[in-house]
Amino acid sequence: MTDGHLMSRRAVLQALGAFGVAAVGGGLVAVAPKMAQAQALRQNESVEDAMRRLFGGKAIKGGSAAIKLDVALIAENGAVVPVSVSVESPMTPASYVKHIYVVADKNRIPVVTRVTLEPEAGRAFIGANIRLGESGDVRAIVEQSDGTLLQVKREVKVTVGGCGG
Amino acid sequence: MADIGKVRLRVPSSIKPGDVVQVRSLVIHPMERIERDAQGKIIQRNYNYINKVIVTYLGKTVVTFDTTQNVAENPFFSFTFKATDPGPLKVQFLDTTGGRYEGTADIKFL
Repeated sequence: MTDGHLMSRRAVLQALGAFGVAAVGGGLVAVAPKMAQAQALRQNESVEDAMRRLFGGKAIKGGSAAIKLDVALIAENGAVVPVSVSVESPMTPASYVKHIYVVADKNRIPVVTRVTLEPEAGRAFIGANIRLGESGDVRAIVEQSDGTLLQVKREVKVTVGGCGG
Repeated sequence: MADIGKVRLRVPSSIKPGDVVQVRSLVIHPMERIERDAQGKIIQRNYNYINKVIVTYLGKTVVTFDTTQNVAENPFFSFTFKATDPGPLKVQFLDTTGGRYEGTADIKFL
């Protein structure tokens, strides 16, 4: 039993995180148990926990030169906030943008969406309508095929929150 | 919500081979939010929201979105793909209740 106590909280979190990411990776198995689905992109975590879980403490470089994050500075209605991310990057099988994450720092579920791109996409561009609970930073994090992480942040002011609950 | 699951796809009308084409897609879906009781505790149930969007072109997956409840109601997504050959572009939306909604656009060159 002492072994269990010795296991640090971080180790437990990391183990759980790895499971979560694996569940997303294998997400095409549509009949995964419902709980596993709910765990895939976890709920109710702080943005720091989310980042640690997704990127395992890897350094994230500033990417303002390459990434263009398009989002209104003032969102009147937090329920619908159009966001688009485009990345200046080649899209060849040798070097392409693998993932684009959209993260809203103040949301109770910080990871809004994780996009997986293939070289066939031609250009690293995505757009989506997201919800914002309150004013705070919105980040776009880009993971390139060689594992490089880049991010840009933008503060968005929200007049009426849109996440409910 | 009789319209639930209706998918709309917008593809530019004139596409040349080799173009990188931007597509806009929308699905009618409630994207239920987390509810809390009076104490602020989350009510545990299986919320109905879209957690996966898969875009396939010529049978190959091009873009995948893993989404959470933080995506707005009637979610809208845009993305690009490289049009190489005529064929179907299919967008599938999967929700947490096992619903599967899809829309197809035929990519052809004039």
